[in-house]
Amino acid sequence: MPALIILACLIAAGTNQLRTDGLPLVGNWSVEDRFSDAAGDSMIISLEQAKQLFNNDEALFLDARPESQYAEGHIQGALNCPWQTVDSYFMELADRLNGQKMVITYCDGESCDLSHELALFLKETGFKNVRMLVNGWTIWQQAGLPVDVGK
Amino acid sequence: MWMIIFYASRFFLGAVFLYASYDKILNPQAFAQAVYNYQILPDGLINLTALVLPWLELLIGLCLISGLWLPGATVISTCILAIFFGALVFNLIRGLDINCGCFSTEATEGPADLWTVARDLSFLAVATYLTAYTFFFRSAAYKSSD
Repeated sequence: MPALIILACLIAAGTNQLRTDGLPLVGNWSVEDRFSDAAGDSMIISLEQAKQLFNNDEALFLDARPESQYAEGHIQGALNCPWQTVDSYFMELADRLNGQKMVITYCDGESCDLSHELALFLKETGFKNVRMLVNGWTIWQQAGLPVDVGK
Repeated sequence: MWMIIFYASRFFLGAVFLYASYDKILNPQAFAQAVYNYQILPDGLINLTALVLPWLELLIGLCLISGLWLPGATVISTCILAIFFGALVFNLIRGLDINCGCFSTEATEGPADLWTVARDLSFLAVATYLTAYTFFFRSAAYKSSD
């Protein structure tokens, strides 16, 4: 039994050294590092900034969670764009996104990656001002900011 | 008859482990993300787990099929399936909506649910049977043939 585990460790370390896309043995999983764009710049927006943009009506919020969770409650005025079926939603949303000064994506939970994937996708598609609000739905509610229910 | 069931179970579970290891070995970065999403391990252990676990699964699969190091392979397979069970149930109970990362590092599998737990439990049952058979019945059979 120990032999199997040791062998697995050795092969893993060996192949990881050899392959070009190997991982660092101890990764950096901090929030800033995880949620960066292709150039490595952080895409995170603080709740304070998001709130300000919301109050001034200067940003469009995109909810990256599935439709059912969006229907249960979402940031007021936010549009639903579930990451898992982004292709079918995106064409409808594209017109709404054009001309927006800022697009803010969010989902729920610090480890939720949906809003990050969506933000990266939007950047690749050509939208420059895309930010993500980490753990957005939870902190938005906790701050007592306006929400909507239903589709 | 019992031998046939024993061999069939070994090949079945071995194939499951080989299949499970394949995509993770090819995509360590994506698998590390899946491990991270479980929110169980400390950050410092995530990449190590993501690197070693797939190879361990591959070795277990090979051992189960070839019959080499069978006692070790059956015990480890039972242990890791039990750990997966714990991790899945833990996250289901605390309501974390995460991807299983069991067989594919792609998010297309959909979130882990009760069906995922049931699947893991059925593998765990096979692994437990194999462990018991390897340690008790087979050694008993050896003794009786002495």
